[in-house]
Parts: sequence; C-alpha cells; structure tokens
Amino acid sequence: MNEHEKAAGEHLFFDEHQWVTIEAAMSRIIPTDDQPGAKEAGTIAFLDRYLSGIDFVYAKPDGSDFEQLEGKRAEAWQQRIDILGEKYVEGIEALDRRSRAQFDADFARLTAEQQDQILAKMERPAQQTDLEEAQATMAFAPVEPAMQQTNAEIDLDFFPLLALHTRQGFYADPIYGGNKDQVGWKLIGFDGPASLAETHAGRHTTLSYFAEEQIDWGKEDSRGA
Amino acid sequence: MARKRKPEKVDVCIIGAGASGATAAKVLTENGINVVALERGPWRKKESFGGDELANVNRYNLWPDPILNPRTYRESETEEPREELFCPVPQMVGGGTVHWQGWLPRFTESDFRLRTIAGEVQGTTLVDWPISYEDLEPYYTKVEWAFGVSGKAGANKYESPRSKGYPCPPMPTTRYAQKFHEGCNELGYNSFPTPMAALSQPYNGRPATALSAFAQQHGDPTGTRSSALSVWVPDALATGRYDLRPDCYVHEITVDEHGRAKSAVYQDADGDFVEQEADVFMLGCGAVESARLLLLSQSGRFPNGLANGSDLVGRNATFHEYSAVVGVFDEPIHAWAGGGYVAASSFEFYEHDDSRGFVGGAHIAAAGVGIPLPINWSLPDRPAWGAEAKRMDRDSYDHSFAVGMVLHDMPQHDNRVELDDQVKDAWSLPVARITLRTHPNDLAQGRWVIDHNAEILEAAGAKKTYRVYPERVTGNCSHQHSTTRMGDNPDTSVLNKYCQAHEVDNLFVVDGGPFPTATGANPTLTIMANAWRVADHVVRQRGTSTVTTASGKEA
Repeated sequence: MNEHEKAAGEHLFFDEHQWVTIEAAMSRIIPTDDQPGAKEAGTIAFLDRYLSGIDFVYAKPDGSDFEQLEGKRAEAWQQRIDILGEKYVEGIEALDRRSRAQFDADFARLTAEQQDQILAKMERPAQQTDLEEAQATMAFAPVEPAMQQTNAEIDLDFFPLLALHTRQGFYADPIYGGNKDQVGWKLIGFDGPASLAETHAGRHTTLSYFAEEQIDWGKEDSRGA
Repeated sequence: MARKRKPEKVDVCIIGAGASGATAAKVLTENGINVVALERGPWRKKESFGGDELANVNRYNLWPDPILNPRTYRESETEEPREELFCPVPQMVGGGTVHWQGWLPRFTESDFRLRTIAGEVQGTTLVDWPISYEDLEPYYTKVEWAFGVSGKAGANKYESPRSKGYPCPPMPTTRYAQKFHEGCNELGYNSFPTPMAALSQPYNGRPATALSAFAQQHGDPTGTRSSALSVWVPDALATGRYDLRPDCYVHEITVDEHGRAKSAVYQDADGDFVEQEADVFMLGCGAVESARLLLLSQSGRFPNGLANGSDLVGRNATFHEYSAVVGVFDEPIHAWAGGGYVAASSFEFYEHDDSRGFVGGAHIAAAGVGIPLPINWSLPDRPAWGAEAKRMDRDSYDHSFAVGMVLHDMPQHDNRVELDDQVKDAWSLPVARITLRTHPNDLAQGRWVIDHNAEILEAAGAKKTYRVYPERVTGNCSHQHSTTRMGDNPDTSVLNKYCQAHEVDNLFVVDGGPFPTATGANPTLTIMANAWRVADHVVRQRGTSTVTTASGKEA
C-alpha cells in the first residue's frame, strides 16, 4: 500500500459528522439505482482528500504519485483550498440548520425524500424566507459552464460546488480517490484507459470507436495543385 | 529583488514562445539571426502532460490560474468591471497550441476585403486588410508543410486557390464527422475533413498522432500532435541561435532617446529584474497580452503606452464566440473518440451573403459537446443533480455530438483591452480589462448559423436537438485579435502591413493583434503564416541569407 492509497482510507479534512453529511448529500446528487452512484464511486473520499491541503491537486501524469506544488502556484492553491474548505464547513452547518428547522433532525438522519427537499431549497435560494439564511446563500448561482470553459471554482457557492465536486469525484481518473473501479465511466460508456500510465506511455487509443468506414473525400482538384 | 547583470544585446528579442513567437523564432534563427525569447510561463516538456481531465480542464493545470492571472470584464465603460477569466490562453512555452486539437483552415480571398464586399456596417470599424490572400498563400503552404497538417486539398469547395496540397491525408473518420457529412450530403451542402494539427501518418521523422480521448484541452504526452512546442521550438533550438528563457515575465519595453524600442525589462524565475537589449522587438503574447504590454510600457515619449499615439492600441478587439447545436442520436456516436475534435467541417455558411441579413459568416464543424469527457460533458437542459441528471448522463453521453460555429464578430471602436485600475496580477501589474459590447450583427449571424446547424443534425437523424444561440461574446474559444490592427494609414491602424509599428520602426507584433478583422475561421494557421511572413520581412531587411532549414525543408 503506497502513501496515497493509505491516505484514501482516512479522514483527512472532514470530521465524522461532516463526512456522513456530505456523503449523504452526494448520494442524492448521483443516486444509486440499479447501477452504482456517488456512494459506490467513493466521491466523499475524493472530496475529503481534495480539501485536505495541496498534496492532492495534481496527479503526476504517469500516475506514480502527486505533484508537489511550489512558489506562487502553491500559494494560489492553498488560498483556493482554504476558501473551499470554509464553504463546506458553513454549508454543512446550513444543511443541518435547515434540516432541523423543517424536519427536526440533522441532514444525515433524514429520509432520501426529505434530503431532496432540503437540497432543492439549497439549490434555489429564491424560495427562501429566512433572511439570515438568504444572506448566507444569496450568491448561489446556477452552474452553467460555457461550452468550452470551466467555471472559476471559488466563485461558486456551497450547493453548486457540492454538485460539481460530486461529478468530479464520480468521473475523474480513479487516482484522485473517486470513480472506484471506473464505475462512473462504465455507467456512461466511456472506455477510458486502465490508468494514467497508459495514456502517458501512448498506449491508450480510441481508434476502435471511430467510424467503421472512411469517408471518401474525393480526389484533389485544381485547388490542390 | 535585485537587478541582475545585463545580458548581451541580441539581434531580435521575441516576447512569447507560443504559436506566433515560436514561428517567428524558427524563421529568424534558421536565417542566421540570433534570438532571445522571453516567455512568462514555464517550459514544460511532453513528459509533464497526461490524460487527466480533472487536472487539465478543471484545475488550471494548463489554463491560467485566475487567482494569479485574473482579468476583468465589463460591457461598457459605465459599468463596474468584474473579475472574469475572459478569453484565457495557456501561458507557457507553446502557448495555446500546447492544449489544442488544432483546427487549421485557411482564410479565403474575401476575408481580406470584406469591407469592400459587404459595405459599411453601422457601429463597426469593418475594414479591408492591407494584405491579400495571395500575399499569405506561400506562407500558408510553408506552415502546413513544416508543421504537418492533415487535410484534403480541394475537398472544401469554398477554399481559395492553393499552390500545394496538404502534406498528410485527412485524419481517420470519426462517427461524429461521418454523421455530419451525411447530414450535409442530405441537404446538398459541401463538407470536408477539418485540416488538423495532427499527423495521419508518420511525417518528417515524427510518428503518427496517438488517438487519445485526452486531446482537446490536454497537453500531449506523446509529442505526436503538431504544436509550437513539438515543431517550432525544436526547429529553432536546432540552429543554436535560439536562447529561450522560460519564467521570464516582461514588465515593460523601454525606448531610447530616438523613440525606438531599446530593451525588455523582465522579472525572472528568481524574482530578479533583468534588462535585455535588442535591435528588434517582436511581440507574440496573444492579442490581449501584447496590447497590455504596450500599454504598460509608458514613457515620456509614449505616455499612453508604446506605439499608442493614435490611442488605438487595445481597440477593435475581436474574440469570436464558439456556440453550437447539440444533437442526440439513438445510435452510439462516441464523440469522445480522438478527443472530440477529429472533425469534419463546412464553409457553406462562411462567405458573406447579403440575402441572409447579416455581414460575414462562420466556419462550422462537428465536434463533441464542449469537452466531451465524463466530467465536463453536459446537455443544456441537464439538471445539476438527481436521478434525472444521472439518466441523461447514462443515456446521452455516448449518443451526442455538436455542430459548432466560429462566430465572426465585428470590430468596434469601443470594444477594447485596457489596463485595469484596481485589479493587479500576482506580479503586482495591472491586469487586462476587457470592455466589450456584442454587436447586433454578431447576434443575427449566430442565430442564423445555429438554426442552419440544427437542420444538419436533423438531416443526420438526430432525435433531439438543442440550439445554443450566442447571447454575447464571452471569449470562450480563446481566439483573440485586432488589438493592434495593421493598415496603411497611421491614423487608423497601429501597425503597417509588415506588422511593424507606425510609430516605432523596430517593433513588430506577430500574434492575432494585427488582424484587422476576426474572420469566421480559427485563426492560428493564419497567425503562424503571418508571423512567418513578418519574420521573412525582418530577414530581408537585415540582408541575411538563408542558412539551414529543419522542418521547413519541404516547403
């Protein structure tokens, strides 16, 4: 067992209560049905590692370890992780506060339907009546990335972040601690490489997913000299 | 932070080692000219790249980190600018070509005289170019053959005359290219294999391109895709005359007592300041950052920025916009195969046509939906979470692709790059502030092209289509141009037709900044061809004869 495999089994950022709360919420974001969901993929371990510091930001491209960040890059990532961690701590408190107000129990103890109701309200703060909570969550923006570009992560608030990180933990390369046994990839039909090393060494190819027949584009004409 | 000992003066100092700067470096060094290149970002080798969607698309492994390199955006000057990563490009040796899949169509003859063809367009600064397609044609050929472009001459019936075909045949056919081709055939539209910066077969001692799913927005660990990093930089280094200095961030170009460019003052990896003198300076930082560097270079002679007596530096900025129609099919499409951008294209909507009710037109092509990899794929009506979101992933991920467009946005005087007066980057320099209002012509063009792209998908058998109309120019395709336009008149342009500043005769800009208009096609082939043309001009001016060529020997 190497260092990062060992780390994957421990709680690095969340305490036990935070862990089960986020794990429960993630299970509603990508629910388990006849096929695996966030729980089976281990998205909670993925997120816990991400929030633990800057040791798991980038896997080495051959999958042998994680990059050690330095200089300005390290400073920027530490700043980002600190901001994200704070959003989670506050977000978990908000989940429990709403759950107790509406159902008289912490979020993790609610039924799946009750959890969905709480999450739906977290997603759409316009429906809120509680002023204090409205202020705490008013920046919740819909997650609509432009077609070619990713969001600035720290601009997102708790719920869109949670949805984004659940998705990342479900579909990212398994080296990051989620997508266990590539369950996310198998669900949608993405035939990804066995490991980062396959792509790094140039062994990964998608050629068998190309068309069976080549298009005949015709002969070069006069424009083709 | 100390000032280090001054290095020796060099023939030419190029700021930036991306598509444009590295092309110029190759041409200059192969003609016996000594070049120092100052690149603000790292020099990453192919071994540092991997097939990691999370790192490359979502965690700024290659994209600029917005905490270190923010930009600001506002729609008009009465609006408060907000921080936004507007039109980012990787800042490293190789620039944007490090993580692209490289669609390399040529512009057409009419692109160089659209003002003459279409007439005046209210509210725009539409102009003809000071050069023609014929001026660039030899350089298109040189770049295609040196770089290794896979394509099929003559397959695009709207293509302008070429002196030579492509060096490599088209890339293998993907299912999304095939569907697009079928839809076009059904409607009587011409389509062609998108010319690509990839090798369909071994070429110039390089093996054929690996067909990884991790290509668009990923660096290439195999080094088999064609990029500035894999072609131009090695060519220039082979001459022994290319002193490439990574992690060297130029803060200012200084001028001498005659108002000529004297030196580049940069901060190196240690944080120390260094002054590099040269006979000639070339800017290839991308249209946003080159304009920013000129504006940062203020002096008694040029109080509003270098070569900016006309107040035109940064103005008329154009960015394209990538928008698309998404089609969902019953049968599997596998639009992640080859990375999603091993494409087929059409110029059917490219040439200006008065009857359409707008000026200009767009290159359209088949591609995956956004970045068609598991994390970043989505459909426009996919919920953020829950059973329905999971169902859509499961049912549609492998069954969808997009027909995208490159919006030809109109140049406008007030759309500009300036220095932000509040926000600074991690090196304490004011960031680029973009002010940009989208012209009604852009929106009309977007609507028309998107509607017609939808018809192609429907003709190809899509059971459902989503039309994503561009609502504003957001800088989402990283193309950037026109901030230092070339032209014959110093009152209406920053550079002459050799991309030499009207006001500073030893200063050139070689990125997309010199483009007087955006055109509706991907710009990098033309950026590289134009950089080659400008470098050739500098070589001629210096009277140095050709020595060796490496990858250019077949041109």
